[in-house]
Amino acid sequence: MAKHLLKFTVNGKDHALIVDSHERLLDVLRDRLGLRGTKEGCSTGDCGICAVIMNGRLVNSCLTFAIQARNKELTTIEAIGTEKNLHPLQEAFMKWNACQCGFCIPAMILTTKLLLDHSPNPSEQEIKASISGILCRCTGYYKIIQAVKSAAVEIRGND
Amino acid sequence: MRRFDMYVPANFDDLLAYIDEHPISNEIHLIANGSDIINRIQRRQLKARTLVDLSGLGELNYVKKENGTIRVGALTSISDLIDSPIIDSRLEVFREVASKFGGPAIRNVATVGGNICAASSSEDLLPVLLVLDAKVRLRSKGNERVIPIEEFLKGKRQTALKPNEILVETMFEEVGNRSACAFEKIGMRNSLIIAFVNCAVYLRVEESYRIEEVRIAFNRVAGKIPARAKVTEEQLKGTTITTSNVSRLESVIRGELRTSPDFRASAEYRSDVACVLLKRVMKRCIHELERR
Amino acid sequence: MVDSAEKRAFPEMLLVGKNVERLDVLDKVLGKPIYTMDIVPENALFVKVVRSTHAHARLNRVDTSKARRYPGVVEVITAEDIPGINESTALLPDKPLLANGKVRFVGEPIAAVASHDPAIADEAVDLVEVEYEPLPTVFSPIKALESQAPQIHDNGNIAKHVKLRKGNVEDGFRQADLIMEGSYVTQFQDPTPLEPEAGFVIPEPDGSVTCVGSIQSPFHVQTGIAKILSLRPDQVRVIQAVTGGAFGPKSDEIPVDVLGMAAVIAVKTHRPTALAYTREESMIGHTKRHPFVINVKAGVTKEGKLTAWETRLVADTGAYASLGPLVIIRALFHATGPYVIPHVKSDAYCVYTNNTIAGSFRGFGGPQAHFAAESHMDEIAKKLGMDPVDFRLLNILRPGTLMATSQMVDEACGLEECVERAVNESGWHIKRSSFAKENGTRRHGLGIAIMYHGNSLGPEGSDFASIHMKVDNDGKIGFRTGMTEYGTGAPSGLIQIAAETMHLPISYFKLQPPDTDHCIDTGPTVASRTITIGGRASQLIAEKLGQRMKDIAAELLECKSSEIEVSNGNYSDKKNSERSVSYSAIIESSRKRGIELDVEGTFTAPRCVYDPETSQGTTYLQFTYAAVTAEVDVDTETGKIDVTKMVTVYDVGKAINPLGVEGQIEGGTIQGLGYGIMEDLVHKDGIVQNPNLADYYIPTSLDIPEIKTILLEYPGHLGPYGAKAIGEPPIVLPAAAIVNAIDNAVGVRLTELPASPDRVLSALRRKNVHE
Repeated sequence: MAKHLLKFTVNGKDHALIVDSHERLLDVLRDRLGLRGTKEGCSTGDCGICAVIMNGRLVNSCLTFAIQARNKELTTIEAIGTEKNLHPLQEAFMKWNACQCGFCIPAMILTTKLLLDHSPNPSEQEIKASISGILCRCTGYYKIIQAVKSAAVEIRGND
Repeated sequence: MRRFDMYVPANFDDLLAYIDEHPISNEIHLIANGSDIINRIQRRQLKARTLVDLSGLGELNYVKKENGTIRVGALTSISDLIDSPIIDSRLEVFREVASKFGGPAIRNVATVGGNICAASSSEDLLPVLLVLDAKVRLRSKGNERVIPIEEFLKGKRQTALKPNEILVETMFEEVGNRSACAFEKIGMRNSLIIAFVNCAVYLRVEESYRIEEVRIAFNRVAGKIPARAKVTEEQLKGTTITTSNVSRLESVIRGELRTSPDFRASAEYRSDVACVLLKRVMKRCIHELERR
Repeated sequence: MVDSAEKRAFPEMLLVGKNVERLDVLDKVLGKPIYTMDIVPENALFVKVVRSTHAHARLNRVDTSKARRYPGVVEVITAEDIPGINESTALLPDKPLLANGKVRFVGEPIAAVASHDPAIADEAVDLVEVEYEPLPTVFSPIKALESQAPQIHDNGNIAKHVKLRKGNVEDGFRQADLIMEGSYVTQFQDPTPLEPEAGFVIPEPDGSVTCVGSIQSPFHVQTGIAKILSLRPDQVRVIQAVTGGAFGPKSDEIPVDVLGMAAVIAVKTHRPTALAYTREESMIGHTKRHPFVINVKAGVTKEGKLTAWETRLVADTGAYASLGPLVIIRALFHATGPYVIPHVKSDAYCVYTNNTIAGSFRGFGGPQAHFAAESHMDEIAKKLGMDPVDFRLLNILRPGTLMATSQMVDEACGLEECVERAVNESGWHIKRSSFAKENGTRRHGLGIAIMYHGNSLGPEGSDFASIHMKVDNDGKIGFRTGMTEYGTGAPSGLIQIAAETMHLPISYFKLQPPDTDHCIDTGPTVASRTITIGGRASQLIAEKLGQRMKDIAAELLECKSSEIEVSNGNYSDKKNSERSVSYSAIIESSRKRGIELDVEGTFTAPRCVYDPETSQGTTYLQFTYAAVTAEVDVDTETGKIDVTKMVTVYDVGKAINPLGVEGQIEGGTIQGLGYGIMEDLVHKDGIVQNPNLADYYIPTSLDIPEIKTILLEYPGHLGPYGAKAIGEPPIVLPAAAIVNAIDNAVGVRLTELPASPDRVLSALRRKNVHE
């Protein structure tokens, strides 16, 4: 089975890996690069849990073959915030009880960060639309939406 | 997940040469992204030996307008399509489709070409392209042909593609002054929707709202793929349409629909709602024309 | 979102009643690798399962030889390879780990293949040859009750039958002016935790095993795996990894299925072995909500007083019973709804079919029972020409009245206030009268449903919880319990309670992952018992540890320990507050003197005593009450329902963490909304038609209504500070409230769930035809 040389940038760092044809971007991120913040919820692109940012756009990493990420720039949850320096979204998610089981949270944070980067004062409808491709079974979405609103205010206040 | 080979063509000519030597079959597939193929492999509906990755062929990602014809490259994503300024207010119908197409991440990778070649009733672009009387350009090594999209769609997951051919582009005429195009869809929920029924209409009228041309398509008419409701179209041509006499459409379309049930919805439901959507979409077209 | 919770019995506290951040969320927002499949050992084998393609068949031959020879395959197991007992069950000994001679549902595990590469294991699955001899099948629980139906188990198709008899229904019906009958049908609802089931097993050099998985009940898994491997329980260590949602299927036999198959292979190959279900496998293989067929016959006087209620509930438990026998008991006890009815006769049956397995899922019979009862109440009200709220208020349970089980309602009953608050907040009277005047194709409706929910296991088992608190080397108080966190926030709530009890900041505590090596059996984390039973245990143990620390402080300060006051980590002499010692000083002193700051213990709830023949007696120790309204927008041309607003009023006894309680209510409400209008795991001839998230529709962010949550506090006698269970109740009522709202909007009564657009339009069509 053919192997490929995959060169891409993940969270600002360049990588060159030999990958199998059938490896998905999700597999390479998790198993080769050890970036296990991106989760697998359904394997068929229907839940959005595996979402990562590729060249500035949200994509489902379970539906992307690793080799299709060649020469692209990826951002995963690991690039967002640190324990000592959390992103306002991360602080808001914690403060507003937006994390219950936590499994959808990396995808939710990446998605809403992308939203706030482009739209610093989003309406509730815009927030809902931005997360409309990610399923959450625990929260009913309410506190996630509240956390995003709160983070947006925080970020605007800091500018 | 099963194992298979992936061929990454160096450029477009390389692609044509490859599929000329390794024709598309049950075991060799072209992919723009993983969405369709991974789904089918997971459900054990497909055993692939080799996939051919088209995602690097950036030259097939474009939206152009030339002499009144809109040309969309096969690898244009839904997001790129609606971001294009060429898709203006007359073509707002594409934004209507996009707003209910999967979710944000899906729209970023699903392609126009992928939608067309999937040839199934869950591909929302198809009814719109059908009513826009779109054509598709097919290329193979040393050959090129253009056929109407209706001719291209042969049945569920069956297209007119020859084994060494690839769909490179779809084209349709721009929407003129006395024309309007609209789309609606209904499913079980408000995002990540698989349509029970969807409906697209293209309408061109004379001064007094006499129908000069009307094209109607649904995700299912009689078979399991999107198709035009030509009998209904024929009956409507030459008649005058207003928002108040739209209801009479129902008896006409009902005669033509031969819907079938599945676990998502009954045949009766599909027919009933097809009639309702047709009226609604037609009304929207008329309103749009009145507005102008 | 929250109205001020009514503070009744308890004064202002430091932590309890406050919104406190959970201890486990930092790792989650940072995307740390904490879930089961994030921490699989490097050299692990991966397992793929061979599953039955027949709904009912004898297995004449299972040939794994081709699969074994496939390059890259390390091991293939069947029932014959199980060292111990081939059993993986929740309650009844009716289900094997791997099929042995017979399969009873499409998807039943027959064999398992292991390879270092999951893709290879998956390919080899197709090489296992199975010869089936088909047997007759039955997919309807009603048909399965018939004597000539194919028998799925040797003891027949009725796994359990339970009865409730109060008074004499015949007398009750004689007293009635109006008798109304109705029939209600509910569907398979899939729990759909976003993390599918997963686990891995590490074989240890001494012959023991370590199991790590996505688990609700570590001790149940320990017992199950020990039996399968023929080991002693102390040779099986079970650790719960951070779990991405559970809702039921991760509590009973399913983690034993997952870890059992992995364990047999791990022990055979001496390699760590992991099994992660795909979503499709999860939806086919794990337990889901029981479909019920419920027949009701109710008698009422013309003034609107209920006199009699007769009901038959038939639950489809699928091929194996799981916790079906307990689900029907809860349904039985709640089948009348929260009303005073002098004469009640109920029968509930847990019936085998060749469908996939039904078992634990949040609500546990409550949603089904209330769907029937609350739909029927609205129908009776309509027939009597009474407002549905007035009719309910005429009959609801109040302190001093008797339930269908003849248990007396105590003063901790906020039901009436729940109804009043819901009515006020929803604009009930104004809206309903304005909706009645609507015409046009979009119609609006407002409906109500009310409930009660017996807390904790009640008759379902011995209700106890164990906590172990110990000051660790880093100076933090390690909090160890077998009660698991899977999104509820409840274990953090236990720490909140401990911190409150000891008057110490929450940051001094550390929640340790549940590990059977380090905590004693605490029973399953189910039935919303963590805060109630676990909370009492937390209070108990925290009290003991706190006392020990006060004793040391007293010695250091040379005063009596009753004179010690704790504040902000300082222990001071009440009589002379300048004299104090810090928490650290106490730890230091205890170490020097060899005093153990290590306390472990169990709280056991009093047993519930009732007559199993008539279900009369004490069935639960306290009850949660609620009233929920739903406002809907009905598109009468397409049947599509949009739920636009909901008011959810819950008597929670005491909200330990109000934001946490709200989160449970909001999440459960949306799961209940899904149950009401869009979720249906469709089986056709035993084959699941939509085992994926494309065609099994759970609500998205664009499907949620505006929600107003009101918390009332009528403290109960069981939970800490009077706290009541809130994990399960929120999923119980939305379906009924929505279906009642639809009736208000368009005058059609939907008796089958989900109220899909197809069903709504069909009902409208029938109505228009008849008018």
